[in-house]
Amino acid sequence: MIDTFVARLEANACTVVGPLDVDGARAAVVERASGVVACNDDVPIPDLVAALRGAGTDVLTSDNPMWSERLASVAVGVTGAWCAVAEPAAIGIMAAPGSPRATSLVPPTHVCVVRVADVVANLDDAFARLASTPLPSALTWVGGPSRTGDLEMILTLGVHGPRAVDVILLD
Amino acid sequence: MTGHGMTGHGITTPGRDFRERGAHAVADTELQHALRNLDRRLRTAQESATAHPDWKDRAAAIRRETLRDLDGWLDRLEAKLTENGVQVHRAATPEEARRIVLDLARARNAKTVVKSKSMATEEIDLGNALEAAGIRSIETDLGEYIVQLAGERPSHMITPAIHKTLPQIRDVLAHEAGKDLPVNREALTAWTRERLRAEFLRADLGITGVNFAAADTGTLVLVTNEGNGRFCTTVPRVHIAVMPIEKVVPRLADLSVLLPLLTSHATGQPLTNYVTMLTGPRRAGELDGPDELHVVILDNRRSALLGTKYEEMLACIRCGACLNVCPVYRNVSGHAYDAVYSGPMGKVLTPLLSGGAEGTDLPYGSSLCHACSDACPVKIPLGDLIIELRADYPAASSPARRGRRAAWNAWARAWSTPRGYRLTTAAARLTRGRAPGLGAWTRTRVIPRPAREPFRDRWARERG
Repeated sequence: MIDTFVARLEANACTVVGPLDVDGARAAVVERASGVVACNDDVPIPDLVAALRGAGTDVLTSDNPMWSERLASVAVGVTGAWCAVAEPAAIGIMAAPGSPRATSLVPPTHVCVVRVADVVANLDDAFARLASTPLPSALTWVGGPSRTGDLEMILTLGVHGPRAVDVILLD
Repeated sequence: MTGHGMTGHGITTPGRDFRERGAHAVADTELQHALRNLDRRLRTAQESATAHPDWKDRAAAIRRETLRDLDGWLDRLEAKLTENGVQVHRAATPEEARRIVLDLARARNAKTVVKSKSMATEEIDLGNALEAAGIRSIETDLGEYIVQLAGERPSHMITPAIHKTLPQIRDVLAHEAGKDLPVNREALTAWTRERLRAEFLRADLGITGVNFAAADTGTLVLVTNEGNGRFCTTVPRVHIAVMPIEKVVPRLADLSVLLPLLTSHATGQPLTNYVTMLTGPRRAGELDGPDELHVVILDNRRSALLGTKYEEMLACIRCGACLNVCPVYRNVSGHAYDAVYSGPMGKVLTPLLSGGAEGTDLPYGSSLCHACSDACPVKIPLGDLIIELRADYPAASSPARRGRRAAWNAWARAWSTPRGYRLTTAAARLTRGRAPGLGAWTRTRVIPRPAREPFRDRWARERG
């Protein structure tokens, strides 16, 4: 199932690494940092913000009073995921205090940390899981980088949302 | 509904009726060149249907279950939306829907509105109504933005600028940019991204359609690829979603089949890049999302179709598959229909939503090949509905039409008796199916050649 998930994500133009352990995943996020990094609270890696700052990265967290103003200058948005579907590939991200919607939308690169245990086989399984979960104000399913077919029905990436989606699988 | 209703805006193909506009479109070489791009979508529905043979049955059953108690599901949806903190408005007519949105926008002193592609807002001509009220209304779907800048209307419900070639699109965007832009997809997309990013950040109001609204949870679902729909529902302080009544589905879990069915038939994607599920406005402590979420539920003559032979049309999920396979649409494109909805579903919906005031000639511009019925993911018998509409809206009387009618009546009388049948088939054998005055008819049709010996005679000879 994880192999299918990875294959489908890559077919959607995502990059995928892992499954990694927590230390490996933390290092993978730090490695992908460039410019200002926005980090949501739902990323399932302890001490991630400290590690990023330790590596000299300017990190924007949701408790920053200037969060809204600074978001437009962020290069990389890091989020966790509530659940992910292997086929069709879709990563479900829930809005919450500390985990704003825009982190996976505004920056040109979205780094998403997905726990292997949260990957389900198909949409039926995802909706079954959703039935026993309180619904957030916004649940966004992401398949890959923003795209359009509006120009002569030929795929073009990076319209309004991220141009790159890097998925880090966490074991 | 006249003037400002289904046909009140945008440049359409010239011509007095569908036939004239179609002929004009067929003669437009650049349009014909652009339309060949439709081939990229031709097989998508077929591949999806063969990959998941049970999906159509499941989806068709869910849609019909919804229509059997549409009012009930809408009431349940409204109750749940209200419980979630959504403000629900019901609009019987496009005028009412426009007034509701304009009142909301004015009361909040909105200067700029960002819109995500929505056929419902096209149907009520909302963008022009906002502009007329002095409010900037920016379409943010790339194709829809191109069409808006060109002063046109979408020609395809999924790919609004399918009628334009890349050089034509470059010209439209370069004119807006006030500088030269290359004929290059990435560059044109990047320019639009920067331009519209600024609009998203300044917008006071986000307006979207709704793909599905789940009655059991009060969740609004949007499928998008570009991310503009996410911006419209994340940045502005107020989000208004406009949904026709048939967008309701009983259960959120129904989407496990409806979502992939919609997207695979629309674009060939197993799922669109983004699926957004909104359950109420921003909550306490959240940093983004709208403070206010409004839903405008639009009827516009739809509930009058319930219980009639046209009820099934309300099962439509707006995937565009019937456009892509239609031999007429593929040659004339959307503007020839001079209506918001084009292709086979537009031929059915335009006369129905206008109460017969508009588009009653559209059902006649059909080869009746029923490719649309076969392509439909929720099994709407579009070809049959087109025939029903011909009966309900007879074509204007003409000598040719009276002649055809007389010929069919004579045929019916002749074949009502064994003697008449024998005489006419004998005559057809003698003339080999040719008859005077049939030239106009056979120009686009093949007359079956009669057998040398009638089956009746062969039967008598071999078995008698």
